[in-house]
Amino acid sequence: MERARRGDEGAYEELVRAHQGIAFRTAYVIAGNASDAEEAAQEGFVKAYRALGRFRRGSPFRPWLLRIVANEARNRRRSAGRRAALSLRVAVDESSGDAAPSPEGVVLAGEDRERLLEAVNGLREEERLVIACRFFLQLSEAETAAALDVRRGTVKSRTSRAIEHLRESYG
Amino acid sequence: MAELETALRALGRDVAFPPTPDLEAAIRGRLERPRFWRRPLAMGIAVVVVAAIAAVLAVPQSRSAILDWLGLRNVSVVRVEKLPAVPARGRLDLGRRVSLDEAKRRAPWLLVPDRVPDSVWLNESLPGGKVSLLWGTPSEVRLLLTEFTGHTYIEKVIDGDTRVERVKIGNAGAWFQGPHVVMFQDRDGRFRESHARLAANTLVWQVGKVTLRLEGGLTKDEALRIARTAS
Repeated sequence: MERARRGDEGAYEELVRAHQGIAFRTAYVIAGNASDAEEAAQEGFVKAYRALGRFRRGSPFRPWLLRIVANEARNRRRSAGRRAALSLRVAVDESSGDAAPSPEGVVLAGEDRERLLEAVNGLREEERLVIACRFFLQLSEAETAAALDVRRGTVKSRTSRAIEHLRESYG
Repeated sequence: MAELETALRALGRDVAFPPTPDLEAAIRGRLERPRFWRRPLAMGIAVVVVAAIAAVLAVPQSRSAILDWLGLRNVSVVRVEKLPAVPARGRLDLGRRVSLDEAKRRAPWLLVPDRVPDSVWLNESLPGGKVSLLWGTPSEVRLLLTEFTGHTYIEKVIDGDTRVERVKIGNAGAWFQGPHVVMFQDRDGRFRESHARLAANTLVWQVGKVTLRLEGGLTKDEALRIARTAS
């Protein structure tokens, strides 16, 4: 991070490599399609690079980056004039996953997963986003707050409200 | 509630996100400061002048002789006594790298010359969009063909050492020989100093609604030869 701040492009490329996955997926959740997400993530990384001088030394890079990327994603969604329909879908081809199944993997059977995802898709946009950030992307509260441009307290209250609504619709 | 949270976390593992594109490669081209052209034609110029380009462009009275005889609708040419100080290696604002096919899909008006570019770039943040065909790399540009339509246009600030002449190509064309400054409008329709850079020899021409500019260490004849193959 320090090397990148001093203008070392190689060091910044390492940061890009380390964070491009989460940046792209965050943008995807917000923008709702892959091509806008790619553009938003790319633009976000470039803007973050140009703004490195304003980055507060010692603070974590990821929330700062996600705030910029998410903002780009929101701009694209708005300018495209469409609601970002959640196009997440449940992976069907289990054999393609290279990761070992998690202990939680057994928690939900196939059709339950579909039902739960449907329930998430049916949430209000702000609640859908907080669930996607906290549970699907596994962002911390601080990172979620940065990405959604709200306070941490709002992330907390919105999350519990969303969980409540999910319980009602998912049962 | 904790059970539902666990279930959501598990569900997250099964959500099919599209594969992450290679952002690193796309971004690399945009972080490097472009080293402009093999011929060091303009390097001496950058240190010559101190005037800020914003000041030159903000006050209409200070614009001398606007060259409108070129007949290029989307190009505005301003002659000043001295070129303002702008980076010779300024930003190219290429946008994102795309395939030629995608560029054609997004910009159906695109004209492509007979030599295959090394990379194709699309900048949709400019009004009407801008496509750049690039030979070389963003940091070592050998030749750059930029195309756009609609309201986007260029301001060129030229001093006494820049030759401008009309050339016969498309609906209207002009050849700029020698260093000059090029700027594109941003999405708000403003010209920004940070978006200005020193340009090499350039051929600008219009075909229908498309404005094309071909820039590089070329002679006029070489530029015209390439330009005439664009279709």
